[in-house]
Amino acid sequence: MHMADALVSPVVGGTMWLAACGLIGHSVRRIEASAKDHLVPLMGVLGAFVFTAQMINFTIPGTGSSGHLGGGLLLAALLGPHAALLVIASVLTVQALFFADGGLLALGCNIVNLGFFPACVAYPWVYRVIARGRYGPMRGSVAALAASVLGLQLGALSVVVQTQASGIAELPFGPFAALMLPIHLAIGVVEGCVTAAVVAFVARARPEVLPAADAGPARSLRPVVAALLIAAVLTGGLLSGWASSHPDGLEWAIARVSGAEEAPAAPGTWHARLSAAQERTAVMPDYAFRQAPRDARTDGSDGASAEPATAKPADSSALPLGTSVAGVVGGAVTLLVISCLGFVFGKRPRAV
Amino acid sequence: MPPVIEVMDASYVYPDGTQALRAVSLCVETGEAVALVGANGAGKSTLLLHMNGTLFATQGEVRVAGVAVSRPTLNHARRTVGMVFQDPDDQLFMPTVEEDVAFGPRHAGLVPDEVERRTHEALARVGMVHLRARPPYRLSAGEKRAVAIATVLAMAPDVLVMDEPSSNLDPRGRRRLIEQLRSFEHARVIATHDLELVVEVCSRVIVLDGGRVVAQGPVRELLNDEARMLAHGLERPHILRHLHPH
Amino acid sequence: MAFRMAVERWLDVARMDGLARQDTPVHRIDARAQAVTTLLFIGVVMSFARDELSALTPFFIYPVAVMSAGRIPAASLLRKLAVAMPFAVAVGLLNPVFDTRPALAVGALNVSSGWLSFLSIVMRCLLTVSAALLLVACTGMPRLCEGLVRLGVPRVFAVQLLFLYRYLFLLADEGRRMTHGIALRSPGARGVRFRVYVSLVGHLLLRAMARAERIYHAMQARGFDGNMRPQFASPMRLADPLFVGGWALFFAVARVWNLAEALGVLLMKGVG
Ligand SMILES: Nc1ncnc2c1ncn2[C@@H]1O[C@H](COP(=O)(O)OP(=O)(O)O)[C@@H](O)[C@H]1O
Ligand SMILES: [Mg+2]
Repeated sequence: MHMADALVSPVVGGTMWLAACGLIGHSVRRIEASAKDHLVPLMGVLGAFVFTAQMINFTIPGTGSSGHLGGGLLLAALLGPHAALLVIASVLTVQALFFADGGLLALGCNIVNLGFFPACVAYPWVYRVIARGRYGPMRGSVAALAASVLGLQLGALSVVVQTQASGIAELPFGPFAALMLPIHLAIGVVEGCVTAAVVAFVARARPEVLPAADAGPARSLRPVVAALLIAAVLTGGLLSGWASSHPDGLEWAIARVSGAEEAPAAPGTWHARLSAAQERTAVMPDYAFRQAPRDARTDGSDGASAEPATAKPADSSALPLGTSVAGVVGGAVTLLVISCLGFVFGKRPRAV
Repeated sequence: MPPVIEVMDASYVYPDGTQALRAVSLCVETGEAVALVGANGAGKSTLLLHMNGTLFATQGEVRVAGVAVSRPTLNHARRTVGMVFQDPDDQLFMPTVEEDVAFGPRHAGLVPDEVERRTHEALARVGMVHLRARPPYRLSAGEKRAVAIATVLAMAPDVLVMDEPSSNLDPRGRRRLIEQLRSFEHARVIATHDLELVVEVCSRVIVLDGGRVVAQGPVRELLNDEARMLAHGLERPHILRHLHPH
Repeated sequence: MAFRMAVERWLDVARMDGLARQDTPVHRIDARAQAVTTLLFIGVVMSFARDELSALTPFFIYPVAVMSAGRIPAASLLRKLAVAMPFAVAVGLLNPVFDTRPALAVGALNVSSGWLSFLSIVMRCLLTVSAALLLVACTGMPRLCEGLVRLGVPRVFAVQLLFLYRYLFLLADEGRRMTHGIALRSPGARGVRFRVYVSLVGHLLLRAMARAERIYHAMQARGFDGNMRPQFASPMRLADPLFVGGWALFFAVARVWNLAEALGVLLMKGVG
């Protein structure tokens, strides 16, 4: 699932951009150090391959719906984590630029969610640990299933966290997570099956392109770590979903029942903290305050969420009615004028 | 002066065990045009890939201008031998025609002005200057082929090695290609099924079958030998029937 | 059905590629300048408060101006926007559900702050998405990548991105040809059977890898040693910094003052 621009705050988007830049920089250095020249064209062509493969659908038996390859884990299996991360980042960039999937501000989030988790977490810590260079039906399938489920769950959880931390969408954490995680569990299973089957296909036709079977004894620590990681993520996801959906949902229901229409929808505390940070960095905080006195950021201190339904500023009366109406009128006229201008000056593309 | 290309008893086995070349020996002199013919899978492409050190013979040796091709002498081989690959889409990998032609000179370490001069010259030589800003995937098959040749000409090689240059071309593109090939002063090694092209461009033919050289000699003599051509999965070109009726 | 939609998407890339190779005042602006302006634009738009509406409207000038001057047909942008919006809209639609505080009274009509923030999300989405689409429609991938390298993006990353773009057309065409036969033989199906799918994708992958190897050979044959050399540079022109500076000034003004509201006040004074 692509994170969308409109749901990401500049602070979250910027942080994720920095994270993505760091990941890309690190991967580039690792690739340059490996001196595998042939990787450059291979990465590009496999990126194009993933794009093409995503356009082909197969029917999922018994459901009437169809699925396609995501490709993150497959790329990692073919290229290793670093090159795979770069390829996924490129695919996402092209999608953002050409199809407006996600967007530029959310690109960092998407690189982390769809690139880092499958390629740099699920692949080295689950896939490689379980498969250990053998891609037979049993081992390969288990490895691919576990890794892609984990990668997608982490990615989905990350979408929820980023949305929450941005605080632009009003979605409570619990229900959102409860919606996203099961959907991505299903997607993960499908992705795992496809990845396992395609890797097995390649292993039959060109075994030399896949990492060879590990020689020597297995490192005993890694499987344990991997298992712990999976367990932690699953229980963490479920627990936090359960825990936070209840108070939030309850609060919301109570507020509705008691007629306190103005109950704010549970400002998450990290959102409060982040938006406080954003406040300090905003161009003109005063101005923002004047425009949005009812925003969650007015009760931005950590303690505020404890008593959400109290202390509301004197809502719409705080805003001079004339100003708001002027905003509506002015906005409408502005849009009208701009679209007329566009209509008048817009030209047909000129063939070259 | 040593021959520009000399293959001595070269054999090659692919990693999967396919034996593609069996003790091939041949020799190409400065400025001459040699055709390499043979059925599909005869080993033509494999042999060509030995001439610039993309593959190294499992046994035997390949010499370029008297220097044996090996990893340390790779640069020499690649500067001397310009390779035009079978599928121009593999060769034209840069975003624009101009960048693609400039790739070789640039990686040879030339200064930007010289790179620009060579690029322009090579494009002019194949008549493609007007396409210089175009992306390669927007070209016709004939244009792609011409640009692919220009990418190699820009490196000023002594030998042009081409793998099936006339495949996929329409009659006009093919005609233009033949005229160009005739006009080059370089030594040329052309692997092809297009025997009429061979008759018009080359002076000598080498016939490959099952990874072996089974015949070589002057074009007209060899290609007129119908029984022999048929035996190796080829046919006698019509143009020769026309020129030499029995 | 599924096949046709997918191919549509790919044709879209080709269409954008065509638009990017026009010669207009916008297309002549350096890719670096356009990239920086786009990022500025997106940053400023996203920095508005969550339920801001009227102050965002003047920002539509930027995409509309670039679109007109760059001869980008509005229809193609709108079509993509329609495809791109649903996720943001679906998530944003929950805002009015969860946030029902009254925010704005226009006559007898009470608008809740949830609706305001929903509309704000939609508006931001329109703005940022169209800005990103216009960036690539007015520069094109090759110029954009070279510009990004000059802005500090690692060359390895940019080069493989360019390779992706270069071979996308070819591989998509291969994929299309391979699926076409299957689609013809299974009318009405939304996709192919899993077994068929795996062998299809597997073959596509093997061909892609073989192609990558041939490309690598072709690169080596022309002296590739692992380092890509910089491409022909187009010099900065005076128009480039002017483009960035002018728009940055406008963004700053529109960020600090609510121009639309000022216009509204002015109009209402005139009427009243
Ligand atoms: N990469 C490869 N791996 C294994 N076998 C190959 C490879 N490329 C070619 N071959 C085999 O080597 C033989 C010669 O192929 P090739 O040189 O391509 O012939 P030609 O160009 O004359 O058609 C064929 O049997 C072919 O199947
Ligand atoms: Mg061949």
